[in-house]
Parts: sequence; structure tokens; C-alpha cells
Amino acid sequence: MKPSVSSLYQAIEICQDIPPLLIGERCNTNGSKQFREMLLADDFDGCLKVALDQEAQGAQVLDICTAYAGRDEKADLIRLFKMLIPAVKIPLMIDSTQADCVAAILKLYPGRCIINSINLEDGGANLHRICTLAKKYGAAVIALTINKNGMAMTADEKVETAAQIYHLAVDEHGLRPGDLLFDPLTFTIGSGDETLKDAAIQTLTAIRRIKTQLPGVHTLLGVSNISFGLRPAARKILNSVFLHEAVEAGLDAAIIDIAKVIPLAQIGRQDREVCLDLIYNRQSATDKTPLLAFIDYFEAQGDQKQQVQETRETASEKAMHQMIVKGNKDGLEDVLTILLRRYGPLEIINTILVPAMRYVGELFGRGEILLPFVLQSAEVMKRSVAFLEPFMDKADQSARLKILLATVQGDVHDIGKNLVDIILSNNGYRVYNLGIKVPAETIIEKAREYAVDIVGLSGLLVKSAIVMQESMAQYRQAKLNVPILLGGAALTQKFVAESCVPQYDQPVVYCRDAFAGLKAVRDFEQGKLTSTVFASSAPKAVSAPGPKNIEIDPTNPVPATPFLGQRSVTDIDPARIYPYVNEQALFRGRWGYRRGKTSAQEYQKLMQDTVIPIYETLKKRGIEEPLIQPKVTYGYFKCYSQGNSLIVEDNGQQYEFRFPRQEFAPHLCIADFYKSKDQGGDITGFFVVTVGHRIGQMAKALFEKDAYHDYLMLHGFGVEVTDALAEYWHEVMRQELGIAQQRPNDTIGFVTQQYQGSRYGFGYPSCPDLGAHEFVFKLLRPEAIGVTLTENMEMVPEQTTSAIIAHHPQAKYFAV
Amino acid sequence: MKKYICVNCGYIYDPEVGDPMSNIPPGTAFEDLPADWTCPMCYLEKESFDPLD
Repeated sequence: MKPSVSSLYQAIEICQDIPPLLIGERCNTNGSKQFREMLLADDFDGCLKVALDQEAQGAQVLDICTAYAGRDEKADLIRLFKMLIPAVKIPLMIDSTQADCVAAILKLYPGRCIINSINLEDGGANLHRICTLAKKYGAAVIALTINKNGMAMTADEKVETAAQIYHLAVDEHGLRPGDLLFDPLTFTIGSGDETLKDAAIQTLTAIRRIKTQLPGVHTLLGVSNISFGLRPAARKILNSVFLHEAVEAGLDAAIIDIAKVIPLAQIGRQDREVCLDLIYNRQSATDKTPLLAFIDYFEAQGDQKQQVQETRETASEKAMHQMIVKGNKDGLEDVLTILLRRYGPLEIINTILVPAMRYVGELFGRGEILLPFVLQSAEVMKRSVAFLEPFMDKADQSARLKILLATVQGDVHDIGKNLVDIILSNNGYRVYNLGIKVPAETIIEKAREYAVDIVGLSGLLVKSAIVMQESMAQYRQAKLNVPILLGGAALTQKFVAESCVPQYDQPVVYCRDAFAGLKAVRDFEQGKLTSTVFASSAPKAVSAPGPKNIEIDPTNPVPATPFLGQRSVTDIDPARIYPYVNEQALFRGRWGYRRGKTSAQEYQKLMQDTVIPIYETLKKRGIEEPLIQPKVTYGYFKCYSQGNSLIVEDNGQQYEFRFPRQEFAPHLCIADFYKSKDQGGDITGFFVVTVGHRIGQMAKALFEKDAYHDYLMLHGFGVEVTDALAEYWHEVMRQELGIAQQRPNDTIGFVTQQYQGSRYGFGYPSCPDLGAHEFVFKLLRPEAIGVTLTENMEMVPEQTTSAIIAHHPQAKYFAV
Repeated sequence: MKKYICVNCGYIYDPEVGDPMSNIPPGTAFEDLPADWTCPMCYLEKESFDPLD
């Protein structure tokens, strides 16, 4: 029997009577934006439709690839294959370099699969794993001519690599020659790159030689790479002509966009000749190069909608610049490969990539693009640098400015610091990210060890601002002697200028966001970094926002509690919480989709087309995966106030919560909202709520995989859903206390506390001291819902929040 | 006069109301708020506000 592959329904020969075997390329997260977006939206029905459409258009095999940073490739593959196997009549091809993914699919596939692919990039370890599987399950295998030096460019190299793979696969693993499909790789002849002008010839020659030198094997190509960088209309024609030439040379199979193949007969003779001149690098009658002749020819044919072609000297440079600015990764490695033929890796980074990122930063600074898009650009940068790094010398790495980053002692919040890491490291700086809860001693020690040029400190809590202030003297004493950049939600320009700057001898600079951090680093490079100053036109403020001229009424009734002591609730449907999500804070604040310079209409469109779909997907995943696992422990306790303290009673024990008092009028303190013993005592509530560990773990994994954009989205969603859970549970407690008559009817109503009473979070402006958590944990035992305390009294997981609930109608937010 | 929203907490500054929590009288445009004015709910600075329309 002739070598074939098969599905549940049919077998199909690899060598078709009319070659090539057509393999549909569109079910691929790396090759098709549409497919990728469907997969990311968990729209598996949509993915299935992409497959069925290709089958209807004439595909004979379908390539299936679900690899995408931040997704579980194996789980996605299994789910998709289980849907495709009964629905698609034609055989499938598993496109993954992960042996465990390949194994999982081979195990469940009812016919004969093709594995895409093996190569010799790592010297053969992965080839060994995959060939073992291919032998066990009897699968066919695609082999790419990539060796330890990278992708083979010349026919000689391609054939030699193919022969090496043949030897390993056939002689050592016992595969039959007919099990192998060699892909000798195609590179673009559309870039103007001198060294690639005969790339088509090299590939076609390799096909011929592989077929003669390695009898019985098959050949395959991803055809469309040949025309990368050219305009779409011209690409379609060039691809089709090249495919025809490849088949003439002996090509058996092609991975292509089925809908875009044009039969040769439909291509005019002159069109064909121009394509052939380019493919075979034939000088035409004029003195133009074949590429310019090609471009001029197809240019003259119209298609004004497409942008004018770039000059051949700068096409790749401009393409790379655009890919960073637009955050587009499609074909990234192709462009970099072309650039590497002309520039050193460091040169590419310094003259193309970094300036492009700098431009992105400028656009952000001018309010023309938003943070999520900057992160997509940074992802392209990261992937480019990762691709270039193997080509770099160690010396190339050492010259860069070094920056140490840390979230200060007692603080577990790291989104802000990580954003600074992303922005700095993708602007060419070397970042040492020490993580969270880092004591000043460690910061001093590591700053010396790495000989850093700048230290950046971050922290969200009010307490962290105090930690930064207090540690300044320690840094001065240790003669740290490098500038310190400070960032965090509780900091202000004023606080840094007045409370931190005077305590240290080098510049101390407040950075309100990651780009302010980048600017400070650049200022330092140019020798013009100076400490933050704050000059207020108004006389120095002696108060903070909050209730004014308030006299707390001691006669308010004490509500009846539904029970005394602690209870926990663990069966809360995330859908109950979503209506409480502060969407404006999520979209604009956490995610950075701010209005900026866009018009109201454009902003509306951004919301509808981009932001809301992301939000809806996350909400769905919150319920289905479930990303969100809401748990609550709460309780009501007898209490009384005593000066600045609240004495809380539980099971015969007394716990004294000490609260700070404003040093300015109206001199409020949380204890003021409770009756004293003499006034008959009072009741109070507490809660600890969490959405669980999973969302934080998944966010961390995304950061580590450099999926910056998705990291920001997932993290922000977790933060706001946690707040929503707190808002929801606060309302439940008001209902239980019978004080819920006044109900806010919109988000702003909740924000401004249009309800009776207040809740004060520990670590926040009314009670910055996290030490109170010791007693909260005795009262509520949150360990039972998976929440623990760090040695610095912060709660873990990060997506957890706690509060004391005051029922007094005059209790509202204030700051000490 | 235009309203502004705090991107951190969702508080909306309405010039017609002003901000009694910080002694800002009604009729004060966002642009005319003092440099050290902060969000009365979450205490972030003026830069954290977006125009709302």
C-alpha cells in the first residue's frame, strides 16, 4: 500500500495523482489571528468552523496548532481534537514541538496522524522523543531542515541536515522512509535582502536533491513564506507560481491557505513570467533587479488600497519597527532572520528595536496609545531579543545600565513593580527583580552584589510608604550611593519630596508609573536626574479629604446581629459578584484603557471592540474554569470603644484594636463610631474575603512567560473581582443587620458609600496598621478558607481583602 | 463644565457639586482644582483622573 494518512473516515495518499497534497494552515494560533482570537475566547465552535471551512475549500489534511503563551497547549489540543475527530472527514496533523502534547493526541487519534514537526536544533533530544512516539503509534513525521546552527539556508545545508535526520529517524528509530516528510524551508525573496535573492532556487534545488538522495521520503513546504513582505495581491500570485515550480521539482505536500491558491491556468502569462524571473533571480531586459521589476509590474496593476512598497534597503527595518509599534508578532522570526544577515544582533537591538520601543513610550506619553498596547509591543520586543540572544557575545550584554527592583518589606503587591520591569528590560536595561517583601538589608546587599546603577522600590500599602520613608536613613548609612526611584499607590509627589528626599544623599525620585520610571532612568543616563520637588501654591494643607465639622451622634440604635461569632461561606457563584465590579476602575485604572487623547466616540469603540470582549471572556472563565473561587469568613461581635481603641469580645476573650486618630480637625478615629461601655456597648462586624489562589498563580505564570498583556488583564480582573466580593459581602452584612434600607443604585453610589455605615480595610488610610490582622485571624480563622498571614501580617493569596464593618450612619472613609 | 472620573476608584468629580470633603466649593472646574487636591475616596492625585463624556 502506498504511504497514506487517515482519519476516522478515510485514508488519503501522501503522493497524490495530482500533487501536491493540500494541507490547510489556518487552524494555527501562530499563523492565523482569527483562529488565535477564537481560541483565546474559548470559542471552540469557532475553531471547529475554521477547520470545516478549509475542508469545504478542498483541504486534504488540516494542520492544528494551539501553542500560545499563557494557554494550556495540551488541554486545548485535546479539547479541539476531540471535537474535530468526529466532525472532520479528512486526516489531521498535530502541530506541536512538545512531546507530551504529541503523545496525548496520538493516544486519542483514531487514524494515522502526521506530526509537525522534528528538527535538529537541540542536537536531537526532542527528535528522539518524537520519533519514539511516531514509531509506537505509526505516525508520519514532518522534519524541518534546522540544525544546531539554525535554519539551513543553502541547498547543501538543507540536504545535509535532511540526511542527518533521515539517518536518525530511519536507521536508529526504525521509521520507514515513507513516514518522513522533509520541509527544506522557504525564505522570502520579497525583502530585497541580497543574501536571500536566490532563496527560492536553494529551496527548489533542495527538494530535487532530497528526493533523489533519500529515496522513498516525501517533501513538504510552507509555501507562503516565499513572498513575505510583499503586497497581498502580488503574494497570492507569486505563491501560486512558486507552488507550481516546487511541485515540478518534486514537492509532495504543501501547507497553505487553501482559499488563496490560484490555479496556474488562471494566471496570465506575463504575470507568470515576472514571478519566474523573481523566483529564479533572472535579470530582465531592463537594468532593474528582478524584485524591483516584480514590484513595479504589480504596482502598475493597481491595487491602490495597499500601501506603496518600501525601498528594498529599508523594507525589513521598517517592517520590524512597525511590528514593535503595532505589537504584531506574525512572521517576527522571518524578519529577524533577514535582518541578521545584514546586522549584528546588538546592532538590531540598538538601532531598530530600542528606538521602536522608545517611540512606543513617546506615543504613550502623549496619550496616543494605552498601556495594554504598550505591553503587546513589549512582548514583541521580548521575543525578538530572545531570538537574537543566542547570536550575541557575553560582552554585548555587560554594557547595559543595571537597575534593581523590589517590592518593599511587608508588601506582597507586585503588579506595579513588574510593569516597571517589563518596560525597563524591554527598553534595553538590565533589571534585577528581587520580588516581593524584600527587606532593606537584602536590597543593600544585592545592590552591591550586582553593582546596580539605580534602585527602584515599590509598594501598594500605606504602610509601604512609611517603610520607604523609614528605610531612607538605612540606605544613607549603608552608603548605597545610587539614586532611588519610588513608586506605589500610597505615594504622592509631596510625600516623596518632603518625607523621603531629605533623608538620603542621592536623588530620590517619585515615579507615578512605569514610564516615569523609564524617564528617570534616561535622565540618569544623561546626568540630569534630580530629586523630586514639590511646591504647592496653596498654603501647606493641614487636613486630608474626609468628613468636616462632624460630631458623632452617640444615640444611634445598635442593630440586632443575626448571630454572634464566626461563620464561613464557600459556595458563592461568581456571577453573584460580577454586578458589583467597578468596571470603570477595572478598565481605566487596573487595565490602563484610559480616555487619553481619543475622542469620546473612539473611546466608545475601543470599549465595544476590545475591552468589553476581554472582560466578558474573563467573566466566563471566572465561572467555568473556575478562575474565581469566592470564599468568605465573617462574623459579628460585641464590642465597646475606649478612647482610640475598640475592645472586641469573643468567647470570653477580649481583643483590643488600637486605631490612629487624625492629627487635624475633625480628629476622627474609627473607635469614635462605636459606643463606649458606659453608653451600653455596641456591635461590630469583620470579614475576610478571597477569590482564591488560582487567579494569582495563573497571572504569575503569564508574567513568567512574558505574556505581559494577558498578565495585566488577568491580574486587574482579580483585583477588581476581589473588591466586588467585598462590596457584595458588605451589602449582605448590612441586610443581615437590618440597615440596608438605603441602597446605592449605581457603581458611583457604592464608591461614595451611599449606604449606612462603612468598612475600613486594614492597611488602608483609616487604619494603615496591618498588625490588627493578628486579632482578625483569631476571630475569623480565615485559614479555613485558604487564607494565611505572612510574617509581616499581610494576607496570602494576594487577591484577598479584609475589613471591619461599622454600622454607624456617620461612619465614612477618612484618612489619618 | 466637564466631569472627571478617578481611574483608580471610579469617583466622579462633578464641578457642579465641587468636593465638600476637601472644601472645594460648587462651580469649581476640574482644571481649577489646587495642585495638591486628591481624590476624596482613594487619595490619588489629579493625574489619575480621566475626562468623562
